[in-house]
Amino acid sequence: MADLGVMALLLGMALSAYSVVGSIVGEKRGMAELVVSARRAMYMTLAAAAVASGALVNAFVQNDFSIKYVAEHSNTLMDRAFVWVAFYSGNEGSLLYILLMLALISAIAIWFAPKRLARSMPWTIAILAVIQLFYFGVLTLVASPFELLDTVPLDGRGINPLLTHPGMFSHPPLLMGGLIAITIPFAFISGALLVGNYGDDWIDVVRVSAIIGWGVLGTGMLLGAWWAYTILGWGGYWAWDPIENVALMPFLVLTAFIHSIMVQKRRGMFRMWNVALMNIAFVLAQLGMFINRGGPVVSVHSFAASTLGIIFMIFMFVGLVFAFGLFLWRMPHLKSDRVMESFLSRESAFLVNNFLFLAVMAVTLWGVLYPLFSDLARDVSVSVAAPYFDRANGPVLLGIVVMMGIGPLLPWRKASARSLKQWLIWPTLVGVVAIGILLAVGVQRPIAIFAFGVVAFVAASISEEWWRGTAARVRSGDNWPMAWWRLVNGNRPRHGGYIVHISILMLGLGIIGTNFYQQRTDGTLELGQSLVIDNYRIEYVDNGNSSRPDRVAQWAEMTVYRIDEDDYAVEFDTARADGATGFTLEDSSPRTNDKLLGTIEPWHGFYADFNMASVRSGIRSTIVEDLYVIPRDFLADGRVSLAVSINPLAWWLWASGPFFIIGTMVALWPQAAVERRPTKKKIPEKIQASPEGGN
Amino acid sequence: MASRYPFVMIGPCALPNNSALLALIGLFLIIFVSAIGCIREEDISLEQRSHQLAAQLMCPICDGQTIDGSNAQISQDMRQKVRELLDEGKTNGEIKDYFVLRYGEDILAAPEGSGFNLLAWVVPVFIVFGGVGIALLTIKNMRKAGIQAQSSPTPAAQNGDLSDFLAQVDRDLSGVAESASSARDSNPSNPQNDEANS
Repeated sequence: MADLGVMALLLGMALSAYSVVGSIVGEKRGMAELVVSARRAMYMTLAAAAVASGALVNAFVQNDFSIKYVAEHSNTLMDRAFVWVAFYSGNEGSLLYILLMLALISAIAIWFAPKRLARSMPWTIAILAVIQLFYFGVLTLVASPFELLDTVPLDGRGINPLLTHPGMFSHPPLLMGGLIAITIPFAFISGALLVGNYGDDWIDVVRVSAIIGWGVLGTGMLLGAWWAYTILGWGGYWAWDPIENVALMPFLVLTAFIHSIMVQKRRGMFRMWNVALMNIAFVLAQLGMFINRGGPVVSVHSFAASTLGIIFMIFMFVGLVFAFGLFLWRMPHLKSDRVMESFLSRESAFLVNNFLFLAVMAVTLWGVLYPLFSDLARDVSVSVAAPYFDRANGPVLLGIVVMMGIGPLLPWRKASARSLKQWLIWPTLVGVVAIGILLAVGVQRPIAIFAFGVVAFVAASISEEWWRGTAARVRSGDNWPMAWWRLVNGNRPRHGGYIVHISILMLGLGIIGTNFYQQRTDGTLELGQSLVIDNYRIEYVDNGNSSRPDRVAQWAEMTVYRIDEDDYAVEFDTARADGATGFTLEDSSPRTNDKLLGTIEPWHGFYADFNMASVRSGIRSTIVEDLYVIPRDFLADGRVSLAVSINPLAWWLWASGPFFIIGTMVALWPQAAVERRPTKKKIPEKIQASPEGGN
Repeated sequence: MASRYPFVMIGPCALPNNSALLALIGLFLIIFVSAIGCIREEDISLEQRSHQLAAQLMCPICDGQTIDGSNAQISQDMRQKVRELLDEGKTNGEIKDYFVLRYGEDILAAPEGSGFNLLAWVVPVFIVFGGVGIALLTIKNMRKAGIQAQSSPTPAAQNGDLSDFLAQVDRDLSGVAESASSARDSNPSNPQNDEANS
């Protein structure tokens, strides 16, 4: 198996090298057959990457511990379902996975590339092939997943226990896939620039491929947050860890890009700007790969530091120089067709939105790099973690949400201040009323209340658009649901965007709730005792443990009651006098108004081979708040020490996911009818119907 | 401070001389400010404070985790110590200083905004305001170019008149990847999408 894998990788390296040379030479010398052959070589690299991946998967399935990577990342005990996870759980395997994804999406992109891009395709293919060549080279020469061990161990070390969670089947592959997917739009744009195609032929294919990469990356990050929340057992979901940040940064730039590409599509403006954004996104994705492979920052995520770091750093700089060299060279040709007509136009709103996204990106980058900077400048180590990013980025992110409520109300070219005012009255009123209500019912924390007001403002702004658009169609005879459906269908990029905006609002609710209103208490319980926090009583009723060869697991069974605070007035008073949020009850006999809610089972596993603990919190989730119980420790005498929190609105964080995906798909769905463009370009029917011909 | 950003950012862009709109936003602001004035931050229990502090202190032996999130022995001890210091009536600042003295500056999850580390906090402000400033300036320049182009009588004169101006715009925009061509404004050969699509 190992030989097959090594051979496939060598073959892939040769094929991608051939594709680079063949594309460029064939294009330069006008040898059409060579160009075609180089293109077909790109389908063969997919075959090579697939064979190499298959060989590795097969080695996992067969427990072939003569291969070092297999011995280090699995054992005979491992559930075979986790072969897929083990495949990318280490450095070498994840690189192979990334290569496989790159080869796959390259082949798809080349297959579906519109015919009108024929002139620039050789260059696009050459760029894709160079990047594949890099990965084939690294996998062959530096980090081979097929390295053999001198002595074959009887059993492997096993899979990293933190990865044995359903979320791991999708979070890492989506994240890595999303980062590498940025290569595709980048290659299309760079190919067009290299060949001197300054038209907008590439807009649709670039937009579609960028949105796919963006959607995959976004989904991957959300799943990562969900995984952290349910399994990492530290009670949070986003820590502004460097690895999270390097995924977030290209995501932010891509977000700016998929907005401003619409300006180019509709108005023929912002060409230069869009190219620059895509370049930045690509370089940031390379930065992400570099920091993932032993970069110079501390993180809970990174693979063990390796010499790979320096290789990926060099590759990142090569990408940087290439992308921006090309940009500067071709810049004079990338003029806008039109000028900005007004401050009050969707164009200018998009531009402000772009700069806000870039600002969050730049601040995040600054935060990631500041510890290095401080080290170099004055030899003092500092840490830059969540509290910094929350404060530095929070206000700007809120500003972006505000723009989300205003920008879409502006028409292209020029808005009349009067109509904008009419559009804004209703959402502003809703926002103000929301704030008023929150104040009236005694909600605290001014900043959070304001943020809730902003969320209400934007929600009202989207509703208003849908309402007016739907109502107009209803007047012309449709029924309500049909009218709304036709409205959305009439301009999918726009209304898909609104659905994504709604998902962002839901995410916003969760972020505000958990950041500003979380309540926490710690306690150690004996069997039969209860912990009370807010209006929950958590009774510790049972425990158990199991010992398996790879781990010792312990769990506690707890019954959750909703209580009436009046029943516990004395205890609450004592606790408050003591400065505590919650308290422990010796006697768990139910009081008058206790209402049984359910059972939770916090779980704790210890993996001796890894000297690693894995914690699964007990979570009772409602749309209002989560009761979140982290088992800190199971003590020898049967007591369990708990960290309990109430996380308001946390449910909304995860509920936003489906909306995000649905909205992205609506925006991507091919618009078969280009009916709204009276003078359409001569696009063959076939391409219109294919995904990248979408509107 | 934090809450002011959004208004500074949208202010000059979205609200040109429209008194009614300004009044609305003003009302919004007044309510918000008075909300801050009226509301007393709830008395946070010592336990809540100890959690907040724990989220601001790094675990010295873990990679990039705070003592709030980590379950390492040293984190447990440090959390204990935070609680003890709070019980003694120490302020948050004093408690942070206590740990900085013992573990060094990198025990803090965010650098203090003083001395050299002021840089960590000032740069983002420059980034944000600089970025928005550049965006607004770009729009202004692109718009000016448009207005001049429209008021020029003939295409020939247009090109002649604008060359200096365009050069100026290009200089203004150096560093900003945005172009301000007006010469192509009236180019009818680009048929795509003139729909207003509001």
